[in-house]
Amino acid sequence: MADNDKLLDHAYDGIQEFDNPLPTWWKWIFYATILVVPIYYWDPMGIGVGPGKEKAYKQQMAAFNAAHPKTAGAYTDDQIAAFAGDPAKVEAGKAVYTRHCVACHRPDGGGQIGPNLTDDFWIHGGRPTEIMKTVVEGVLAKGMPPWGKMLKSDEVEGVVGYVQTLHGTNPANPKAPEGAKYPADSAAAPAATPQTKGM
Amino acid sequence: MNARLDSFSYDDDIVRKFLWATMIWGLVGMLFGLIVALQLTMPELNFAPYWTFGRLRPLHTNAVIFAFAGNAFFCGAYYSTQRLLKTRMWSDGLSKVHFWGWQAIIVAAAITLPLGFTQSKEYAELEWPIDIAIAVVWVAFAVNYFVTLTKRRERHIYVAIWFYIASIITVALLHIFNNLSVPAGAFKSYSIYAGVQDAFMQWWYGHNAVAFFLTTPFLGLMYYFMPKAADRPVFSYKLSILHFWSLVFLYIWAGPHHLHYTALPDWASTLGMLFSVMLWMPSWGGMVNGLLTLRGAWHKVTEDPILKFFVVAVTAYGMSTFEGPMLSIKSVNALAHYTDWIIAHVHTGALGWNGFLTFGMVYWLAPRLFQTEMFSKKLMEWHFWLATFGILLYVVAIYSAGATQGLMWRAFDETGRLQYPDFVETVMRLMPMYWVRVIGGTLYITGMLIGIYNLYKTWATRPATYEVPVVQAAPLNPVYAADHAPATGGFWTRFTDMGWHRRWEGMPLFFSVMTAVAVIVASLFEIIPTFLIKSNVPTLASVKPYTPLELAGRNIYQREGCFNCHSQMIRPLMYETERYGDYSKPGESVYEHPFLWGSRRIGPDLARLGGKYPDLWHVRHMYRPREVVQQSIMPAYPHLQTKVIDFVAIQKSVDAMAMIGVPYGDAVNKAPEMARAQAAQVAASVEAAGGPAGLADKEIVALTAYLQRLGRDLKNATAGTGAQPATAPPAKAAVPAAPGGSH
Repeated sequence: MADNDKLLDHAYDGIQEFDNPLPTWWKWIFYATILVVPIYYWDPMGIGVGPGKEKAYKQQMAAFNAAHPKTAGAYTDDQIAAFAGDPAKVEAGKAVYTRHCVACHRPDGGGQIGPNLTDDFWIHGGRPTEIMKTVVEGVLAKGMPPWGKMLKSDEVEGVVGYVQTLHGTNPANPKAPEGAKYPADSAAAPAATPQTKGM
Repeated sequence: MNARLDSFSYDDDIVRKFLWATMIWGLVGMLFGLIVALQLTMPELNFAPYWTFGRLRPLHTNAVIFAFAGNAFFCGAYYSTQRLLKTRMWSDGLSKVHFWGWQAIIVAAAITLPLGFTQSKEYAELEWPIDIAIAVVWVAFAVNYFVTLTKRRERHIYVAIWFYIASIITVALLHIFNNLSVPAGAFKSYSIYAGVQDAFMQWWYGHNAVAFFLTTPFLGLMYYFMPKAADRPVFSYKLSILHFWSLVFLYIWAGPHHLHYTALPDWASTLGMLFSVMLWMPSWGGMVNGLLTLRGAWHKVTEDPILKFFVVAVTAYGMSTFEGPMLSIKSVNALAHYTDWIIAHVHTGALGWNGFLTFGMVYWLAPRLFQTEMFSKKLMEWHFWLATFGILLYVVAIYSAGATQGLMWRAFDETGRLQYPDFVETVMRLMPMYWVRVIGGTLYITGMLIGIYNLYKTWATRPATYEVPVVQAAPLNPVYAADHAPATGGFWTRFTDMGWHRRWEGMPLFFSVMTAVAVIVASLFEIIPTFLIKSNVPTLASVKPYTPLELAGRNIYQREGCFNCHSQMIRPLMYETERYGDYSKPGESVYEHPFLWGSRRIGPDLARLGGKYPDLWHVRHMYRPREVVQQSIMPAYPHLQTKVIDFVAIQKSVDAMAMIGVPYGDAVNKAPEMARAQAAQVAASVEAAGGPAGLADKEIVALTAYLQRLGRDLKNATAGTGAQPATAPPAKAAVPAAPGGSH
């Protein structure tokens, strides 16, 4: 059938060409893609150009935040202290610690880039809620990342529980104490109310 | 017709040279592809400083594009042009200059890239002395080519020649304007463009390097070698005309689709997308004309491995030119950008289209050039099937990898947190697919080795001296005589009859000018507003130039090729800002000569890295990444702790930057002192934190200073006095709630 096509009467180094018209489907799809331009700018049902990337982003963020309200319920010191006594939580927390924390705090918690986690001294406070806050929000100025973005809440609970179990383990070659002393009796009496403000 | 016939011969010697160069450099380029693929699966295969992914990846891309595909284009163009124009190349001397000059450039690239000399713009990495050499060699090629056109004995130029002309003109334009830079040493320069504008120019170049180095030259080759091999006429002359002009004009606009959701203004990004969509059918015009040329010859395809190569080549071309417009749609691009999807896309094009068209062409040429029988048809079949399965394994695995990582990056869990906040987890998920890629690549290279062996054995049976056939043709009649009866009737009838185009084909220089006009006009429509509209880049008062030490660190970042794996461009997409912090603003890049936004995230984005970790973290991380981030696939850079900073060179860098308008003030005179002072501070902080001592004059300190600066200007501005760096919306900083009391 191809041989019924009309040949053009020229040849280049023996190559000939047919005088075939443009394939119809080819032509119509080409027109259709050109038609995309006005439709895109017309933007029916929001399928086109839209409000621009920055506005669209702000709208998305607003919708997302509305759909995921940050419930305000915070932990109490007692609740957090109890994580240290929950073996399942501590086990899970140890895995998180090994994965994310050892690079700076050493596997035994003795501290390297980050501070020693086993002694009585805390740079950002040793109360359970303060430890939790440091883990969740991070201390960017000191290089502690905000792990609340990286970890799910049960992972945060676990790792905070595990860190509390490191207290008093006395590893070899610890980093020198930094920060303020948190009362030595705190481990025994975790229900501490703000009793030692200045210390 | 003239009674007198000229006698002449073709220069096939130059074609033979380019043929060998194609195959040898092709093998080298592919081997480096395999090496970098292996480095991604086994980071121990990185040996700093010369043998790391960051330095070898550009070697792979440059070798495959400019050495393999480039030499293939020249090989086929020299063979077909002489025959299509019925004349020998005007100057054998210039042909040789072209050949040897190009090979010297490739060797220079192969030496300088592992040494770390790079402009860090993709596919334009080569430093300024080599860029000048490229321009000179290209001009030699162009002069030879255009004078040959005027010496032709064929009145009209065939469609293959149109595509060659478009390639020669446009590549020259792209190369020159993207590489304008100010030298700061023999092998160091800074792009005269900064930030948004530099990104725009780079992808105007980058996308059209794909168009005019990997597409139009190969369409030209297809239009010659495919009808030859199939011994069939081309399907439609009209389609050739329409798809040539629409392709050449529309392609130029499409570059900004590489920069969707970046700090490039929306209007440019939108233009890039719309023109890419319109480009679909013009691209497919080539595929249609190629495949339909085989009508009535399909029975030959089953027997002839050359036609098999061509069929797969054209099919791969069709797939990647459908995928290109699809990827340019913003919402698709949001998923695919920065992932392996793009890598899979280009390999469909490079391995399938460029590779297979080249192999088909080389096998068609070999018996003719070596004037003997092909050594083994069976080995050609082996090459074909191994390479076909190699491509399939490669692209299926890497498409999956791209989709997997893209989806993991954007996944949120039910509590509104990123499901995979740990970047390295999304990398580990790709490892099985990376291994499949290694297998696919190995198959492809095995095919290549078989091909080279087959060609060698063919060459070995060549005659002692090549016969040089004498061709006879009538000289060109100086008076133009139309070979078709001019159409009569209304404007539209005369237009669609294409008689006017037939006339253009008889005037190659006019034709070339029109082609140049098409690409230049299309370029200017985007370039002029990009540079002139002030609102494209709202200035940010808090953005200051890098300190001299940070600039030195940035030079190291470029030298080590960090930009090959790390982007510095956070898109205004929820899952990006959740992961990396506030999205990147155009004003943040105003001193970025060149821009370092990157195009692929093999590692995480670094735009807001500054202050995220302490100095010592960076020192240890560069020294042994896996001691800090388990499972990281980053190469180790231990030499940065021993290599001494070249403080004198910092002055040159600062001066060059000042020359292109970066307000350096005092630093113009005392960059080394300022750098030493800052280096001492950083080194002291590292030592105080328990890190190694004596780093004050070592490169790691400069790199650390640079990394700690990234994204800080904007943070400082928005944080005010803030103790709380405002990277996250304040609501996110709340202590996590006990979800529903279920824990």
